[in-house]
Amino acid sequence: MSLNVTGPFIYFTIPIFGGIPITQTTISSLIVTVGLIIAALSMGKNLKKRPDGKQVLLEKGVMMMHNMVVDTMGAHNARWTPFIITLFVSSICGSLIGMTGFLRSTTADLSTTLTWAVMVSVIIWYQSIKTNGFLGWLKGFTEPLAVMTPMNVVSEIAQPVSLAFRHFGNVAGGGVITSILYTALAGLSSALLGLIASSGVAVSIVLLAAGAGLLVLGLKKKKLGLKILGIICAVLGVLGMLQVFGVVSDVPIFQFGIPAVLSLYFDLFSGFIQALVFSLLTMVYISGACPPPEEAVQP
Amino acid sequence: MEGFESFVGVNFWTALFTLLNFLALFFVLKHFLVGPVIKIIQDRQKEIDDMYASAGNAEEQAKLMEAEYRQKLTAAAETGEKIVKEAVARGQAREEEILRQANAEASAIMDKAAADIALEKKKAINDAKDEISGIAIAIAEKVVARELNETDQAQLVDIFINELGEQV
Repeated sequence: MSLNVTGPFIYFTIPIFGGIPITQTTISSLIVTVGLIIAALSMGKNLKKRPDGKQVLLEKGVMMMHNMVVDTMGAHNARWTPFIITLFVSSICGSLIGMTGFLRSTTADLSTTLTWAVMVSVIIWYQSIKTNGFLGWLKGFTEPLAVMTPMNVVSEIAQPVSLAFRHFGNVAGGGVITSILYTALAGLSSALLGLIASSGVAVSIVLLAAGAGLLVLGLKKKKLGLKILGIICAVLGVLGMLQVFGVVSDVPIFQFGIPAVLSLYFDLFSGFIQALVFSLLTMVYISGACPPPEEAVQP
Repeated sequence: MEGFESFVGVNFWTALFTLLNFLALFFVLKHFLVGPVIKIIQDRQKEIDDMYASAGNAEEQAKLMEAEYRQKLTAAAETGEKIVKEAVARGQAREEEILRQANAEASAIMDKAAADIALEKKKAINDAKDEISGIAIAIAEKVVARELNETDQAQLVDIFINELGEQV
């Protein structure tokens, strides 16, 4: 029983250009992208002026994102909607694909989130240069005081780094905590079952009987807690008995059910929140580089 | 560790693949989903706006036409009243004229009738005078039965006739 915190598994390496590694992230990213492209193409065709139920839902979703972009960035930046939607769905689907169990979240790899963050930074720099000119952009670093220049440079670099590490850290950290929990639960199961088995068959039979009694009582009184406790005792009794007779050993019984609650937070909730945070920060940064047209003329 | 990448690390190729995937997804979403959806929503909005605008125009036109028709109806009613009034006036004039003519004719007829009656009366009196004088002579000849001279006779006759005339 050991716990290894590793990066994505490398399936194989294509032996060109010094070796191109095909990792779990590569595969997940490809699956997410292809899946989203197919979904987008199938949803985007046969759009009608009089929409059916499916199209209403699609329009609602697109308009929700569109309104979010307009609210955050202003109406003149509405053209960024497809970009933000791409970032959002890539992030959320990339995080959620980890819930399949055999695919790793793309966002649990710094390569993914840092790529997106740097891409956002490049866009911001490009937009700033387009708005203020190259010299104007460089001059922006010396404001409000020339002394601030090093700090401005650092903050410009820290921006994509923090963006990337926040998203990566949340998703990867969630994964690490989940794997720690699995290991801990396996240890707990093993310890408890070992204790039962070493105590002899009698203890197992008592546990089984007590479990059955609690279950019947729970059914009669219609109490969920009693039912669950009864089932746990009965299963522990059966597994203890089986371990005594050497049929199976160290069944990680506690890995059933309990991690689902944590997965709800770390995969579903955290994945959604991080996608939203990443998109929102991107919108704020880009809108900072793309001021409203009338403001852009004045300085 | 063999077969695994480091936990916190960046792989250039993975980054490149991520970027390419992102760009592909961005292109597809922009041109085949978000763009068309936003366009269709805007088209629908425009169509609704147009419909409302044209409905407003139609209503305005209808109101104009209503006012026009109302004016025409009022004018027609006035004309009709005028015509009826004229006709009534003409009828009354004609009635009066006819009555006047009838009265004139009637009085003419009456005058003529009165003249005729007077003439007939005079004639009848004259006839009666002649006849009575003859009868009187005959009666006198027979009743008196005596010879009278012509002057006496004539005198007597005149007296008689005058007396008779006064009686008639």
